[in-house]
Amino acid sequence: MKNRRKCSLVVMAALAALAAVPLAAQDTPAGVPPEGGRGGGRGGRGGGRGRGPAMPPPGPVPRTSDGRPDLSGYWNAGNNGGAVFEVQKHDAKSRSLPAGQGAIVDPPDGLIPYQDWAAAKAKDNFDHHLADEPELHCYESGLPNQMYRQFGFQILQPAGYVVMNWEFMHAYRIIPTDNRPHTLPASTKLFQGDSVGHWDGDTLVVDTTNFNDRTWLDSAGNIHTDQMHVVERFTMVNDRTINYEATIEDPKAYTKPWKVAFSFNRNAQPGYETMEFACNEGNTDLEHYETTEGGKK
Amino acid sequence: MTKNSALVVVCVGLLLAALPAVAHHSFAAEFDASKPITVKGTVTRMDWVNPHSHLLFDVKGEDGTVEHWSAECLPPNGLYRQGWRKDSVKPGDEVTVVGFKAKDGSFYMWAQSVATADGRRLFSGRPEDRGATGPEGPPAPPKE
Amino acid sequence: MTNRLVVCAELLLGAMVYDAAAQGYKPPRTADGQPDLQGIWEVRTSPDKDLEKAKGVIVDPKNGKIPYLPAALARKKENEKNSTSADPLGKCYMPGVPRINLLSYPLQIFQTPGQIAIAYEYIHNWRNIYLKRDKHLEAIDFWQGDSIGHWDGDTLVVDVGDFNDQTWFDKAGDYHSDALHVVERYTRTGPDTLLYEARIEDPKTFSMPWTIRVELHRSTQPNARLMEYECSYLREVAGKKEGK
Repeated sequence: MKNRRKCSLVVMAALAALAAVPLAAQDTPAGVPPEGGRGGGRGGRGGGRGRGPAMPPPGPVPRTSDGRPDLSGYWNAGNNGGAVFEVQKHDAKSRSLPAGQGAIVDPPDGLIPYQDWAAAKAKDNFDHHLADEPELHCYESGLPNQMYRQFGFQILQPAGYVVMNWEFMHAYRIIPTDNRPHTLPASTKLFQGDSVGHWDGDTLVVDTTNFNDRTWLDSAGNIHTDQMHVVERFTMVNDRTINYEATIEDPKAYTKPWKVAFSFNRNAQPGYETMEFACNEGNTDLEHYETTEGGKK
Repeated sequence: MTKNSALVVVCVGLLLAALPAVAHHSFAAEFDASKPITVKGTVTRMDWVNPHSHLLFDVKGEDGTVEHWSAECLPPNGLYRQGWRKDSVKPGDEVTVVGFKAKDGSFYMWAQSVATADGRRLFSGRPEDRGATGPEGPPAPPKE
Repeated sequence: MTNRLVVCAELLLGAMVYDAAAQGYKPPRTADGQPDLQGIWEVRTSPDKDLEKAKGVIVDPKNGKIPYLPAALARKKENEKNSTSADPLGKCYMPGVPRINLLSYPLQIFQTPGQIAIAYEYIHNWRNIYLKRDKHLEAIDFWQGDSIGHWDGDTLVVDVGDFNDQTWFDKAGDYHSDALHVVERYTRTGPDTLLYEARIEDPKTFSMPWTIRVELHRSTQPNARLMEYECSYLREVAGKKEGK
């Protein structure tokens, strides 16, 4: 893989060939719905993605037979300022991260209100330990990270539950909506935490505790401890938008609670399905990291 | 260090080396957006794996030597949604791979598209195709 | 002649599949009228160790032996010898079907009108069973296959195709090719029991189809929930401990 021997190649026009790659409307084979895009990252949104007729204006919130908003369907996280790269406001840090606003709405400066030790640890993660990124190890992403992971997710809403399943890592969250209490002992620590939910009018409120400290808040090494407590509010505002906000507190890591907010947009492509994602079964990307990435080389 | 613990250290090291990498900044870490290239070769194998599938192909150099190239492609689900199937490229197929060269100087590249000798064109990533490639995607044509 | 064939076929099928109607348990229904299989279920035996040695699990053929083709049997024995290193589960790989339902970790079934989902505690695996699609995806393969389901009376029948050849059926090296085709049957047999059958066919590996049958039990603790078995995390922790 790492053959450094210089050799003559059969190489043709570079930029010209690149320019020749059609950008927007591709021939997509019939029956294969193109991937729904989402905002975030470099602010790319709309244009070029999603084929077919323009969408009609948003309709009213669909409801289940018990009158609750029906959150079921396929969703993509949008307008979160590249949170999957870094959840807080970030400049373009040389090699890896495009600049972005992140998803933090409180505090207003968009930065995680770290205690000093935690800020130092997060910086150390970014500078030297990117190979420790939990997703590199096929872990689930915890919160709020899971909510802005790539490739979208599906919500199912059977009686008594809201269930979320991500294509990425086949991660899932199972949220009972019967307002049950947390019953796990504090010593039980989970990647996805323990979530309990209830409906507050048309808003699904989810309270999650019992996290372990094995997940990051994003790909840049931002951290939490096992004392993290997250309260989320999912509010469906029309037939294709769920507004999301999460309040994150962790008395061991932060000086005060902070809040992220963004929305989920419906992926309405007919025939779309989540596909299997095998993680442990694949490998090799790590070999190609340059040492300056803090990766193993 | 005892022989046993040395062996364990080696084993752990090997284990770490085999870890899958799903870092979403991996494109910029591995590939040079300012170095688009086109390479022609013969398919030896295609691995449909996460986080990125790999198309392995051999390139005969002008001096008769054979270079073993690997082109990184979308994850399997991304490929499938772009119309790729398991039999889309087979060992022995002549392909033209357009993409970006690896930073580490090896025979490694990111594949934007793969054209086959019988005229099919398969796309592995487009700049605005965030959904299929994930937020990091392959970049837009280089501006810097 | 046709009648005799029909009767014969019915007798054969009757011998192989659980006759839910004859047993008389009528499960409650979901809001949209499906038999309700929802809840947290788990095996209480250990069929994953060795399907042939697990009592009563292989119900067809009657001798309880997996009907390998001769060359395939040799490979199974080789697998079995190397099981400790070669079992895909040892590398934290996906278990495949039906093995994923036979592990000592619970699963949870969710039902919606067009789709049934099964969440697994084991490495947070997940299966979607599509009730509105009647054809498998083309020219792709998966570790857990592609599942399409329909109701046969009160039994959920799941047709699983599009397998790769990478998984084993148990720890004893029982394996298959990418021609594997599995038909599962899920039937409530009582308030807290769920009968699971899987008919396995693979003409590249077996001389004829074979069927397993296992009873799953409901987890009845209040506020029961799936926990997490994170194989790769546990391996890394174990590796670090040994490295010290």
